[in-house]
Amino acid sequence: MHIGSGFLSPPVWGAMAAVSGACVAGSLALAGRRLDERKVPLMGVMGAFVFAAQMVNFSIPFVPGTSGHLGGGLLLGVLLGAPLGIIVMASILVVQALVYQDGGIEALGANIFTMGILACLLGALVRPLWTRPRPGRMADIITFAAGVVGLVASATLVILMMWWSGSVPRGVSLLEALGAMDGVHFLIGVVEGLASVAVVRFVLSMRREAVLGIDAPAPDPAKEAAR
Amino acid sequence: MTAYNRNTLVVGIAIALVVGGVLSYLRSESPDGLEKTQEHLGVAEPASGTVEPPPSIFQDYNLKVLGGGFWANAAGGAIGCLVVMGLLLGVGSILGRARRARKPPRTTAE
Repeated sequence: MHIGSGFLSPPVWGAMAAVSGACVAGSLALAGRRLDERKVPLMGVMGAFVFAAQMVNFSIPFVPGTSGHLGGGLLLGVLLGAPLGIIVMASILVVQALVYQDGGIEALGANIFTMGILACLLGALVRPLWTRPRPGRMADIITFAAGVVGLVASATLVILMMWWSGSVPRGVSLLEALGAMDGVHFLIGVVEGLASVAVVRFVLSMRREAVLGIDAPAPDPAKEAAR
Repeated sequence: MTAYNRNTLVVGIAIALVVGGVLSYLRSESPDGLEKTQEHLGVAEPASGTVEPPPSIFQDYNLKVLGGGFWANAAGGAIGCLVVMGLLLGVGSILGRARRARKPPRTTAE
């Protein structure tokens, strides 16, 4: 869902760059305040993984000739929290735009907002469900739903930004544009939701301590003494 | 570095490299949801005056000098994974250092 160069007008991309820039700066300030050492390698490899996962375009069922790819912001928000998730997502999008020409340079702020900030905030909302001792079926269901809702929300915002920029042709109504964009991204969102649940479960099973970080409950003093 | 953190890095980057370097070779070449929607709605290709991207050694994530086969894709994916990871480890270490400087640890054992 990377917006290319030339589709957004200067007021739109300028506003999005300002908002996203402020969010990333805020995230850096917040993240530095309470950073668990075990989270640094986790954010490095999660960034590499989401970059890799975004390369894997899959065919969308029922919509021939169209592909989708994961966003990954939701699972980053769940596993790392909003500030670190936003930092990871922004880093990926910067590398994609500057090194791989994927996504327009001036659209970077807009892309960071739709694929990064929105999804990471949603992930952070869902995160408490996963930091409980035994995340249940409810965590799966709500995370899956967040994947669908998040992607449709991002797709809606992309169309609105293009609409405000005057990129959508005159003959096309806003509703029609939203219908086309959201229909496809609803289906991609289903995959996003399923993949987010699977990845969150896997990483939690392997690296629970790093995911919880300093949010983890204090270790049992009796167990500590026995060490 | 603790063994825990080293294992996070080694296993994590291995998984990412398999996804970005190998699995990505099987990706669909169809336009993605946004590109297809733009096509469908008749959004015009942007005219001149758009921001020129910096020249790139990659074309559709393939490392250009290797052409367009499996290895070009594998190199493109692997380089991207390592660049993103390197960037984030750098940011993370700066953030960690800033935090330690602000709030010195009670013990000097480190």
